[in-house]
Amino acid sequence: MYAKLVFRNAKRSAKDYLVYIVTMTICVMLFYAFLSITSRYYNPGIGTEYDFTFVSDGMKMAICAVTLLLLFLIRYVNNYMLRRKQKEFAIQSVMGMEQRTVAWIFFAETFLMGVISIITGIFSGVFCSQFITGMLLSAYEQDYKLSWTFFPDTVILTICFFSLSFLAVGLLNVRTIRKIKIIDMLYADKQNDPHINRSRYMPVMAVLYTIFLIFVITVGISKMYFYSDPRFPVPVHIMFWGNIIAPATSFLLSVVWCIVRKKWSFNRYIFAAAVLSLVNTGFAASVPVIQSRYMLAGGAGTLNTYLLFLLVDVSFWICCIIYLAGNLLSEWKEKSPGCRYRGTNLFFFGQIISKLNTTSKTMTLICLTFVLSVFLFVAAPALTGWASGYLDIRSLYDVQISTRYNSVYDEADLPQDNYESVTDFLHEKDIAVAYDCTFSLYLPDREDFRKRAKLDFPIAAISLSDYNTLREMLGYEQISLNEGEFTTQWKTIATGEERNEFLSNHTVISTDMGTLDLAENACHLEVIGETVYNSYTDVLYVFPDSICSNLLSVMRNRYVKTETTIPYNEAVYLETSFSQKYPETPDNGNGVQYYIRTSTQQINSSIAGSFILQATMIYSAVVLMVICLTILSLQQLLDAAHYKYRFGVLRRLGADRHETELLILKQLAVWFGLPVTIAAFVSVIVTAYFFKTISAQISAYIGIGALLTQVGAIVCILVLLLICYFISTWILFRKAVTE
Amino acid sequence: MNEILKLEHIQKYYGNGGNITKAIDDISFSVEKGGFIGIMGASGSGKTTLLNCISSIDTVSAGHIYLDGTDVTEIKEKELARFRRENLGFVFQDFNLLDTLTISENIALALTINKVPAAEIDIRVEEMAKTLSIADILNKYPFQVSGGQKQRCACARAIINKPKLILADEPTGALDSHSSQMLLSTIQSMNEQLGATILMVTHDAFTASYANRILFLKDGRIFTELLKGDNTRKVFFEKILNVLTMTGGGQTDVC
Repeated sequence: MYAKLVFRNAKRSAKDYLVYIVTMTICVMLFYAFLSITSRYYNPGIGTEYDFTFVSDGMKMAICAVTLLLLFLIRYVNNYMLRRKQKEFAIQSVMGMEQRTVAWIFFAETFLMGVISIITGIFSGVFCSQFITGMLLSAYEQDYKLSWTFFPDTVILTICFFSLSFLAVGLLNVRTIRKIKIIDMLYADKQNDPHINRSRYMPVMAVLYTIFLIFVITVGISKMYFYSDPRFPVPVHIMFWGNIIAPATSFLLSVVWCIVRKKWSFNRYIFAAAVLSLVNTGFAASVPVIQSRYMLAGGAGTLNTYLLFLLVDVSFWICCIIYLAGNLLSEWKEKSPGCRYRGTNLFFFGQIISKLNTTSKTMTLICLTFVLSVFLFVAAPALTGWASGYLDIRSLYDVQISTRYNSVYDEADLPQDNYESVTDFLHEKDIAVAYDCTFSLYLPDREDFRKRAKLDFPIAAISLSDYNTLREMLGYEQISLNEGEFTTQWKTIATGEERNEFLSNHTVISTDMGTLDLAENACHLEVIGETVYNSYTDVLYVFPDSICSNLLSVMRNRYVKTETTIPYNEAVYLETSFSQKYPETPDNGNGVQYYIRTSTQQINSSIAGSFILQATMIYSAVVLMVICLTILSLQQLLDAAHYKYRFGVLRRLGADRHETELLILKQLAVWFGLPVTIAAFVSVIVTAYFFKTISAQISAYIGIGALLTQVGAIVCILVLLLICYFISTWILFRKAVTE
Repeated sequence: MNEILKLEHIQKYYGNGGNITKAIDDISFSVEKGGFIGIMGASGSGKTTLLNCISSIDTVSAGHIYLDGTDVTEIKEKELARFRRENLGFVFQDFNLLDTLTISENIALALTINKVPAAEIDIRVEEMAKTLSIADILNKYPFQVSGGQKQRCACARAIINKPKLILADEPTGALDSHSSQMLLSTIQSMNEQLGATILMVTHDAFTASYANRILFLKDGRIFTELLKGDNTRKVFFEKILNVLTMTGGGQTDVC
């Protein structure tokens, strides 16, 4: 009988479950679509020179990790359904049904709807995965071919994952229903916002932030070892002291407020804390910029720590702004009776203020999620563009052997090898060589060998003949130099400004073999690979052969171009066997670091890595955006029952239909508009900061125009998505309130 | 005689074909300006339907309702909201206050919807609050005050626009006896001192005894009518109980 009841209930309340089914279907669809490319049956035809297993494993882990976020959404949607059906549960309980039975019936209903969602989700996922395949094939520069992506292992994984999720959330629902009192369920839809009073959320956040500030101050002080050197320029000192003084001021503010809290309202304190958190954000954001500008020795650990501080500061700032929004509106309302008493404004302000006071936590979370999602959407093309642009520049040769002398302290240990094992390997594997160049890189001044500070690293030099051989390999014109002249070769990342400044300061350079003048053709920008430059430098000197023969050779490289591409497995073998003889780590005895890179491996790992990055970022961004917009929408629909009562009162007081509908639109515009506006504002700043940090890479590897076009397209899609969610929420909300 | 409300042969049917329910079956009466009329009857007698028809929330099947000479049944849909806000005040059993607004704002809302100039609003709200003894709770929210205070706030909201007619639907239904008594005194003073015309629907004899005239409904028709006249409220209350006994409601175990 209960089974019959479950089916009848599900059929009868299909309209109620629509939101549930649509949300769940979207979740399953995204999961299946992205996961399908990791299936062992998936064969997109990317060519034999590429290996796809690396992509599959990396993707599977990334998708499963991100999908855990969806559990949060599943729980939220279940709560929404639970609250909608509370009155029905109450009636069933009043009729004599045990609350346990009521709970299990609801569990069965939601599970049934879940099963429907899984089925529709998988089928939609098959279509949706075509986009992912398209993305993959375009990454590997292959033509798009339609492929059938209904794979048993992915289907089983999807079913298992979502069934377990539904089961876990369903059991939580059962527990919740069994705990609610019948009377509370009966009057659930008549409750207004029962407590207009503030929750303890913001005071708790303020306390947590104050504790966090102690940590920030401690970290700031601990960096004294790196930054408190008087030789550093002024911006470094400002950054260093700013990261101690600004959090300390915030901390002092909290302490002082605790002492004088009876004289100073909490709102004033939060306002001041918000302003100071913004200052803290600025100083935390300056760390990566200053560190890269002045090549400071902070390392990745410092960067990550300060990016974490940045995140916490921004989050706290958003908390404060949303918390203060209600207060500002209240104060403004009190101070302007003309506006307050115009038409139905009083009702409107009441709605907004009560909501802001009671849902600031959810609003803050929505804001943060939105910012994260937008950032992922925007950063994905920049990072993948960077990766693929950089790949074109560094994978110019089929085999590239390079060395670094950074850990060599004795001139006798410097590399002089010709790497004959590579010649043997190519001969053994019958791989014909088109070009082969083994060359040395020299230091103009022998004394510079001792210079190891990042800012002091000397610029290396190459002999004209070796340089011309490399140019010939790459199809560029040969260059010539007169006796006593030198020229320069530049990395793509160096800006015109940097080049001009350098050249104007280096018209004459002194070497161990006398001085050299800058040639008329002073600067060459053609791409010749990244391993030809010395560490931390963007320029290479080109000297006449006669000069180089008497300079100190510090690095020994070998570049080979083959007639045919080295197959993937052979490339892996070559790299492994070479690394055994010439290790990358400097602790091999003489301190030389040897590197071998084959273009096959570089292209494969780079495309695979950038594809994983791109797919994971887009998947995360879509999941976060769906979570964010669905919760924003459901939050309004959930309150529609309360609003029905409130709008009913308004109508009885004589407000006409047009006015009521306008109010609904205004109200929804604020609910959607406020978090979206704050999030958009923060996103723009975060994105601008991110782009500014990598501006050199953007102009070198992607191009500002191309990136802006992609970002513009993404923004348009997001705006469209937002409009769709807004309109559907508006229609459902209006129906719920006015019906 | 100065008639403010006149009902002429009001009928309200539900259903169609052979399955028609007569909620109101040919009711006619009129109310004088400044009158306090009570409508009593058992459940299903048509009290609330009658109130809904007078307040234009529901439409009649036949007949006419005139409020100060205007035929309510002829007012167009678009004009109804304006008619309601300009002519009628409501007091409901469950207060119908907005929890998001303070008591003062709840009262002011009725004025703002009527487009009263902002400068007048605070003054009028304070005056009304003093009259109904709720001045000290004006800045509180509904959930911070008692049921009686909430209902007095609802009364203040109903009368602040000086409507031609105040419609009260079981105003004491959600109150305890002490609060009920206080509220009824308030409603009586609204009628006597402010000259408000009140039409109150109730099934409680004690509440009805505050009215000057009572119409008893039974099966959609006026069964009988009682006038308070010069009687004391106690005598009037006894008379009401007697009528209820006759109609089968009230005290069923009367000796």
